[in-house]
Amino acid sequence: MYLELSHLKKSFGEKTVVEDLTLSLPQGELLCILGSSGCGKTTTLNMIGGFLAPDSGQILVDGEDITAIPPERRPVTTVFQSYGLFPHMTVLQNVVYGLKFQRIRRAEAREKGLRYLEMVGLADYAGAYIHEISGGQQQRVALARALIVEPKLCLLDEPFSNLDAALRVKMRQELKSLQRELGMTMVFVTHDQEEALILADRMAIMEQGRVLQYDAPLHIYHNPVSPFVADFLGLKDLEWRQDGALLKIIRRDDKEEHHAG
Amino acid sequence: MNNRGHNTQERASLRDALFGVPHLSGGRRPGERKGGALTAGSLLDKAILLLLLGAVCLFVLWPMACILLRSLGDGEGGFTLAAYAQVWSRYRENLWNSVFVGVLSALACTVFSTAAAIFIATRRGWVKMACMALLLITMVSPPFVSSLAYIQLYGRRGWITYRLLGISWDPYNCWGVIWMQSISFVPLNTLLLIGILSKLDTGSLQAARDLGARPAAILRDVVLPLMGPGILVSLLLSFVRSLSDYGTPVIIGGRFSTIASEIYLQLVGYSDLEKSSAMNMFLLLPAIAAFFLYRYLMRRSDKLSEGSRSRQGRLELSLSRCGPVGIGIAAVSILFFLMMVLQYGCIFLAGFLKSTKGVYSFTLRNWEELWRLDAATMVRSVVYALIVSLAGTLFAMLFAYYMERRRVPGRSFFDCVATLPYMLPGTCFGIGYILAFNHEPLKLTGTAVIVLANMLFKQLPTATKICSASLTQVPLALERSARDLGGGQLAVLRDVILPSLRPAFLSCFVYNFSSSMTTAGAIIFLINPGKKLAVFKLFDAVYTGDYAVASLIASVIIVIVLAVEGLAYLITWKGGERNVS
Repeated sequence: MYLELSHLKKSFGEKTVVEDLTLSLPQGELLCILGSSGCGKTTTLNMIGGFLAPDSGQILVDGEDITAIPPERRPVTTVFQSYGLFPHMTVLQNVVYGLKFQRIRRAEAREKGLRYLEMVGLADYAGAYIHEISGGQQQRVALARALIVEPKLCLLDEPFSNLDAALRVKMRQELKSLQRELGMTMVFVTHDQEEALILADRMAIMEQGRVLQYDAPLHIYHNPVSPFVADFLGLKDLEWRQDGALLKIIRRDDKEEHHAG
Repeated sequence: MNNRGHNTQERASLRDALFGVPHLSGGRRPGERKGGALTAGSLLDKAILLLLLGAVCLFVLWPMACILLRSLGDGEGGFTLAAYAQVWSRYRENLWNSVFVGVLSALACTVFSTAAAIFIATRRGWVKMACMALLLITMVSPPFVSSLAYIQLYGRRGWITYRLLGISWDPYNCWGVIWMQSISFVPLNTLLLIGILSKLDTGSLQAARDLGARPAAILRDVVLPLMGPGILVSLLLSFVRSLSDYGTPVIIGGRFSTIASEIYLQLVGYSDLEKSSAMNMFLLLPAIAAFFLYRYLMRRSDKLSEGSRSRQGRLELSLSRCGPVGIGIAAVSILFFLMMVLQYGCIFLAGFLKSTKGVYSFTLRNWEELWRLDAATMVRSVVYALIVSLAGTLFAMLFAYYMERRRVPGRSFFDCVATLPYMLPGTCFGIGYILAFNHEPLKLTGTAVIVLANMLFKQLPTATKICSASLTQVPLALERSARDLGGGQLAVLRDVILPSLRPAFLSCFVYNFSSSMTTAGAIIFLINPGKKLAVFKLFDAVYTGDYAVASLIASVIIVIVLAVEGLAYLITWKGGERNVS
């Protein structure tokens, strides 16, 4: 497998946050780690990104053991929840920052940067400063900045949580098509069930540091491993159409209750 | 959230526009409770506001105007530029010296401060604690201690230069002045820069690392650029402070004199008010220019940290992996903190040593003498400081409230006037007070009031800033609820604003107290010879070469300030425990 996490373990003091986590992902697929807050999903992501060292276990990317490699030398980039954009740089400077460390000539870097900005639909904003663009646009800059260095693996930590609902749906589609287009292997962390079901090629449901179920979304949808998983996904409110569309059903009795109240 | 502070102002105005809240009247609602009490409340509200604004104009703006008028006066009611021409022709060398010392001190001090700030921000555990403790001590130290230690360590009979190394040299020159100024401005700038560093977006640092940046690159590409405006502020503040510092050149300048030290001599020696007013204008104009630049830079610095969502306790950056720059930062910082340890060790020791034929022995004689002669001075200093702390804190809270939350006409003007003393040279503020308040109907010279007022308004800018920062944490909804439930503006002030400013009260009080105890600046010129304060005695003692007594006074001041601050923390901490809100 392209990405292999084997027996990852992490605890902070007495509290075990990730317990014996094992997952693997083929190249070019998108893995969604879904769970409520405090389930250990962000800790897992930080271990893959290199910002936390696991207590035990191994992380392999493309056959290479990266467990002990510091973040700046990992072939992995992250789109942070808070974006972490550089406020003193323009959009373009932000995007090409990572190329600086790949010994790429300035003109070439600029060209590549513009190409990636075009890809995320921000070609017109190259010279703008971060505080001059909207939240959704900042999100795209962060994405372009992470992808331009052509990492083997791209991590996304609840990237859409700061956007409003309509924008979130739009960004979801854009991310999915970008990921397919580039054939990028991605790990996406979220607590939004709908988001996970739509985006994921494979989905891991985490609870209290353990993976409860790991499979393709459609498979989980049809065969939830436990009542907890079914309930957590809100399966009784969802309907998967034959054509691949996912519908959220607002139940009649909920509505009535709402009216009564 | 972070954005709240920035939006408060707009939101306050928006609210007033939307809901048509009459901004200077009470919270009376139409057709309801038009009682006499509410009208009285709204009158009182207006009266407080007018009192605040009037006081700021009288004690800040008027003295400045007096300097300008006096410098232009020809003594017979007409206007002339003669005094300026005289200063320009006779004191051009002093002006040049001031600029020279100012630029070099600002540069050296900023290098030290930036290094020390990055060093402390990247440490944790006892190293950080020890460095912060040293900075705290320097913040509560009276002025002149650096110069005092400098003379004792490196002077003609210095412990290090003469006794240890056996060299005899003349330390009284312009390099000594530059060196001492840079050292003594470092702590304040370092604290400012640490504040800016603590607001850095952790995300930016992580992202840089994630994209392949080594620590040296993170320092160069992210940390230093984001500190940029702060570093400029540090340069600016140090330059203005150096321009206005008369103490250091008077004590260790020898024959080298700057414009500030010349003003001191003119004022204390010859009482030449016209000439010193004109000389002061040469300090006042750059100070005011620097002040506006400072406000612009601070706004830019805020803007850079505006988007930062994540806060951190420690800057995650390994200095040892930052290459030569990182090693340089650590080396400069360690050198600085070692010098501080040496300086305070020297100060604390010198008070208890006596030298007979070059042999030192321990003695309590200086201590007894100080206690016998100057106990009253010490007590007076503490009483003055307490009065200024309480009055100043109350003033600052009220002022911050009216500026932050109410649509006072001319708001930005008054805000600017109240902040001005932050940059005003002590000589200007001192001579301005002498000129403004030495004749009827406001004859205050020689009284305690002029000293107290001077301290209060000199400290108002920082005190107001502390309160404003705390006010922005109070949700507007609280205020609105009080109004909505029928409370007037005064009730809002009493029941919502003042209680929520309790944490600010402590910081404000502590700041006011330590500044009152340790600032010499203007009050040297205002003090009644019969009613001296501790800093004045200290300056006297250093000036006349009574180093043992000077060291003792300095140590006593430091201990008193630390004790009172500790007590204040203890009281509010206990109080907070009893009444968890």
